Amino acid sequence: MTFDPLLYPLLAALAMAVACAVLSVLIVPQRWTFIGEGIGHSGMGGAGTAWIIGLIFPTINLERLAPLMIVAFCLATAVGIGFFTRRQRVNSDAAIGIFLVASLAWGLLANNIYFHFRSSSPVGYNALLWGNSASITPRFARASVATAGLVLFTLFAFKKEILSYCLDETMAEVSGVPTRLIHYLLMILMAVTVLIGMPIVGSILVTAMLILPGTTASLLSDRLRGCTIWSMSIATVATLAGVLLNAWKSFLPVGPSIVLMLFVIFVCVYVFGRARA
Amino acid sequence: MPALVNISDVDFSYGDQPVLQGVRLTVDEGVTLGVIGPNGGGKTTLLKLLLGLLRPQRGHLDIAGVSPVQASRRGDLIGYMPQQFGIKPNFPLSVREVARLGLAGKTGLFRSYKRDDLTFVDQLLERVGLKDFADKPAGKLSGGQLQRLLIARALSAKPKLLLLDEPTTGIDRGGQERFIEFLMDLKRDFGLTLVFVSHDLRAVSAISDRIACLNLTLHYHDVPQHLPADLVYRMFACDLEAMGINNTAVPLTIAGRKATDLVSDVARI
Repeated sequence: MTFDPLLYPLLAALAMAVACAVLSVLIVPQRWTFIGEGIGHSGMGGAGTAWIIGLIFPTINLERLAPLMIVAFCLATAVGIGFFTRRQRVNSDAAIGIFLVASLAWGLLANNIYFHFRSSSPVGYNALLWGNSASITPRFARASVATAGLVLFTLFAFKKEILSYCLDETMAEVSGVPTRLIHYLLMILMAVTVLIGMPIVGSILVTAMLILPGTTASLLSDRLRGCTIWSMSIATVATLAGVLLNAWKSFLPVGPSIVLMLFVIFVCVYVFGRARA
Repeated sequence: MPALVNISDVDFSYGDQPVLQGVRLTVDEGVTLGVIGPNGGGKTTLLKLLLGLLRPQRGHLDIAGVSPVQASRRGDLIGYMPQQFGIKPNFPLSVREVARLGLAGKTGLFRSYKRDDLTFVDQLLERVGLKDFADKPAGKLSGGQLQRLLIARALSAKPKLLLLDEPTTGIDRGGQERFIEFLMDLKRDFGLTLVFVSHDLRAVSAISDRIACLNLTLHYHDVPQHLPADLVYRMFACDLEAMGINNTAVPLTIAGRKATDLVSDVARI
């Protein structure tokens, strides 16, 4: 049985889009959108570490080590940002910035060191930054669908606790909600969605998937259900458009196409909304 | 009546700055305790200790025989109404959904709200006059409506103890009187014990069965009628003058006497 080569990137992209869209509804009012940026860029730090290990131990399979290190760095960064932002020990913007610049600096440094010794950039450097839908394997697509399903299931299972926490942390805590658990759970869910989005959209642009669907949806509905449906619909349409554009003209990359489509939808909704008002 | 809240010899400091020292206090079931004191006197810190948000460096607190942290975790012992509620205007929840979130802790993880609890929330919304707004976005309520929503949310888990932080701040005088009346009705209907923190002496004297004057230590803990005038002046003179109470057209009464008289009496001493 053969499948269209478009199927797997499309599956992975749609899974990522739906998971990001639902999370987006929660994290946009929470002003956490740039946490995704911090987590996404920490992938560079993970990849950089793998490249340096690859230089020291040339027999190591970098194609296997790099994804593992990226996952480890993204999860560690999510927990780190979560730790510093909890109870506002450090301003959340500052915490995100600290992890973002440190990871980016380490990734770029590692890339230059690698280039110096091997006279070429490490494999996957550009794909990490900008995404590469052609690299989506059936295994990754299946993992993306399963992960997105798990994210949605977790959000549903903890719905009342998450909503209570997002509305007001103190009120949630004194009414018996385990706020620490929910705080770190949300960080991990963001890290996981960023991770499945990274190979498609790239670490630089993946935050857009957490910002634009929820922001646009909030202009269209002030109800949770309405917002969630709009956010998922917008993300799905933009993702379909991005993947199909890439299939039509291969020089149009999937990630930037999706993000620009999301931006166009946002501008249209904003402008027509203002005009109607 | 048995004591619902026991506070014994509690010390608390932020770093090396002491805020509470040797505070000893009990609140019997069904009583309304007003905690007054100047700004920075430790009122809100005491409330946070009762909510389990802070832990004392010394001493002991319990609510119905359990620690404040355990009481909060139970979800049905303490209701809390904050002074400022940071409800995000673009957070897409309706008034009913916000009120139901008060049940989240009581209901527990991986469980749905019980039908009886949901019915009770709807009754509460009717009781606080928000029935017609139940499906409207919570972020679009006015200040007074939001305050009533917070009361409904705080009462949704049928708590025994309701803690209120500066509940009359930002409300005009007429609104304050209506709110106090409303609060007293709720207290009677739901058999509540109330502890509220305020530097609004009018509200405190109107509502409280007992008053606790707090300024680092507990200076007074008794019925409002016996509150010593010189103590009120020592604790509040600056606040009263800053608030323009001396020039107020409607006299503020504390312990049966006008606040302006108290201030001028003590100033003569």
